[in-house]
Amino acid sequence: MILDLHTHSIKSDDGRARVETYCTWIRKRGLQIDGFVLTEHRQFDDESDYSELAREFGLRILKGSEVETDYGHVLVFGVNDRMRAAFDFASIDLPLGLVLEEAERCGGVAVPCHPGRPTVGMCAHYAERGAVPGVHVIETRNGGSRNGEDAAALALAEEFGYRGIGGSDAHLVSQIGRCATRFEEEIRNEDDLIRALCSGKFEAITWT
Amino acid sequence: MDVEEIKQNWLNREFDVAEFPITQERILAYVHACGETDPRFSDPEHPEFQAPPTFTAQYVGRRILPRDFPMLGFRGFDAGKTVVLHGPARPGDMLFGHSTIADAYEKTGRSGRMVFLVHRMEFVNQKEERVSTVDWRMVRQPDAEPEKSQK
Repeated sequence: MILDLHTHSIKSDDGRARVETYCTWIRKRGLQIDGFVLTEHRQFDDESDYSELAREFGLRILKGSEVETDYGHVLVFGVNDRMRAAFDFASIDLPLGLVLEEAERCGGVAVPCHPGRPTVGMCAHYAERGAVPGVHVIETRNGGSRNGEDAAALALAEEFGYRGIGGSDAHLVSQIGRCATRFEEEIRNEDDLIRALCSGKFEAITWT
Repeated sequence: MDVEEIKQNWLNREFDVAEFPITQERILAYVHACGETDPRFSDPEHPEFQAPPTFTAQYVGRRILPRDFPMLGFRGFDAGKTVVLHGPARPGDMLFGHSTIADAYEKTGRSGRMVFLVHRMEFVNQKEERVSTVDWRMVRQPDAEPEKSQK
């Protein structure tokens, strides 16, 4: 099963894509993904219900978030009320250690994303301040990466033994599915996603 | 000054009202500039002739920010406008644009910390009917170095 683990809809302040349009695009273009995870910036969208759309298009539509830490941006999966009470999703300078620890304590997984990106990626901060314990998975394939950014992420994963996921970081409809994550197991919901991420049985893939 | 202070001191407080008379010439000039071809907007003889939906996005008030609003650094950029249309603007109307700071929030990007200010203009006509809401996002970069002057 292949999921794009990093997408933004119009719920994000800089997102320009409606979820329904993502679905239409995936089917019309015949993209080789089985679904996607909405990771809206600095928030968890608990209002929207995409189950009808998911049924109509035969896609998995799951929800996570992208938060901002002192080591760059981080995807969090398995968001629940406990996690939302544990740290402020709207903050732009959360301590990475706190996000990793609380995500795990609350039954989720935190994944630093686009680590090779200047300022908002982990690589530069590692170089300056050293590694942070508790990182197991990073995003090694990001659809918005510029020259050398994914290479830096892959090198970091290699150096520290991190597993890698892929996500398009789509903000526009045409960007979805550029990168994704292939799982060995079927992912039906957020719980399955957490189990799969903890199992390590996945790989980052890209079509760019 | 941080975003919380900005919210506390400046949010949703009207700081400017400006008047904008709507004329056929102004509508046609805008339509021409946009390449709009729908006769509702381009043909003054059309029974429903009116300004196109984004028409009010061209207007700014007498002030862009409230008096004494903090500079928030030396650099920034325009992050675009969104328009929500509520009703038509037609030749002969007088629009009143009411300006507020509707939101302020922070995020980080490749270039560092950014403060987003949402400048909102609510347009109403002479009958006090709502015409449109225009949100203009302005980005300030409080930590960025000032741009070097170019010779």
